[in-house]
Amino acid sequence: MKARDLMRRDLTSVDLDTPLADVVYLLHQSGFSSLPVLDEEGRVVGIVSERDLIRAALPGYVEMLQSAAFLPSLDRIRRKLREIGGRPVSEFMVTDLVLARLDDNDLYLADLMIRKGLKQIPVVDEGRRLVGVVRRIDLLHRLSR
Amino acid sequence: MILTVTLNPTLDKFYWVDELPLSLDRPEEAILIRSERSLSSAGGKGINVSTFLACHGVDTVALGFLAGHTGQIILQDLLARGVTANFVWIPGENRTNVTVIAKGREYHPLLIHELGPPVPEEGMRIFLRKYERMLRQADCVVLGGSLAPGCSPDCYRELVARAHRAGVRTVVHAGGEPMVRAIPEGPYLVKPDVREELRLGDLPVETAEQIVQAGKWMVAQGVRASLISHRVTGDILVTPEGVWELEARVPLATFKNLVGADDALVGGILVGLLRGSDLVEAARYGMAAALASAEVEEKLCLNPAAIEAELARVVVRRRGEG
Repeated sequence: MKARDLMRRDLTSVDLDTPLADVVYLLHQSGFSSLPVLDEEGRVVGIVSERDLIRAALPGYVEMLQSAAFLPSLDRIRRKLREIGGRPVSEFMVTDLVLARLDDNDLYLADLMIRKGLKQIPVVDEGRRLVGVVRRIDLLHRLSR
Repeated sequence: MILTVTLNPTLDKFYWVDELPLSLDRPEEAILIRSERSLSSAGGKGINVSTFLACHGVDTVALGFLAGHTGQIILQDLLARGVTANFVWIPGENRTNVTVIAKGREYHPLLIHELGPPVPEEGMRIFLRKYERMLRQADCVVLGGSLAPGCSPDCYRELVARAHRAGVRTVVHAGGEPMVRAIPEGPYLVKPDVREELRLGDLPVETAEQIVQAGKWMVAQGVRASLISHRVTGDILVTPEGVWELEARVPLATFKNLVGADDALVGGILVGLLRGSDLVEAARYGMAAALASAEVEEKLCLNPAAIEAELARVVVRRRGEG
């Protein structure tokens, strides 16, 4: 099975200058755990994930989030999110990208997800333009049928 | 790739009932109507055209605004039907349009249409950026349906102008003032929605002669072709080369659900053109698609064999010739 058969043809994405508050809103609405960031030509140039937002809201403490016992309160995250809500996503996105091609097969995609700890991988065409997203759950769902 | 724009998507909900009360004037009691069957699907004219195209193997991307829980349902339905979705999420809730179809009166349903969520200025800015980006990959754009509250009545004119600047052919499949305002930009095809009012701007479109005059006026404005419905089973195509009447010789009693038939018509024309047909032959295929859709309970007939079978029932006559 190829990425083209597995992917969700949902091009939900953000632009380099999208404010961080809008990214939170869009992640919530779309149900994705991360979103591709596109340049003016529509090429994928970054990824912003829930983890990146948490990292931005609480620098240095992200690993401690593994246990809620380390968090005295959520007020600090709330305040920080408000502070940085108007800043562009380009300041927070990851640019070391893992992208899939339409003809990548399911074994390769599963291997990537496991090795890199990814929940989803954007699929791009030859011009690096977004054409879909393969999610971990899409693979699991397909394998369980 | 064919890009479709649906600025005010809907969740179409269909109910089939044995009968509708002849009068709702019974203030002392509630009126309960039981429905044995119901169906729901993602809708709005552009979305319906994309759904039709995707089932014919045509690469299509649907653009527009989604909102709330209803927006989630619309998105899931579209993705399941093989349509690529590229929507802007806005606050609020997408509309639900209800169609109640009574046995024996399928061609005359009861329709309840909601207004839809207002589009904020920021949402429109994000949409226009996506639109410009997608135009670079598109061969044709279909602008379909009513505008959401908050959209300028010049919205379709602006979207047609932007598409033409990008060298992309346009189809305006809408009604009212926004459609009329887009005409001077010279879209390739205009399919006016005249369900609410049999008028096109100042021009009435009730009789065949009036439709021809309205079509000729649009062509004089730079439109390549206009297609206006004349009664339930007829359409009149006007181009600079002439006027054609398309007629389906089908009794009204064979219709099960008319909602979506005009979207199948537009989708069918595009499929015909992509196959290399000329506009008149493509319109004939579109009419067959519309007929096939009207004859099934689902909003759209997505079975190419059933559409091919309807072709024999569509008569095309050049106006003024026998």
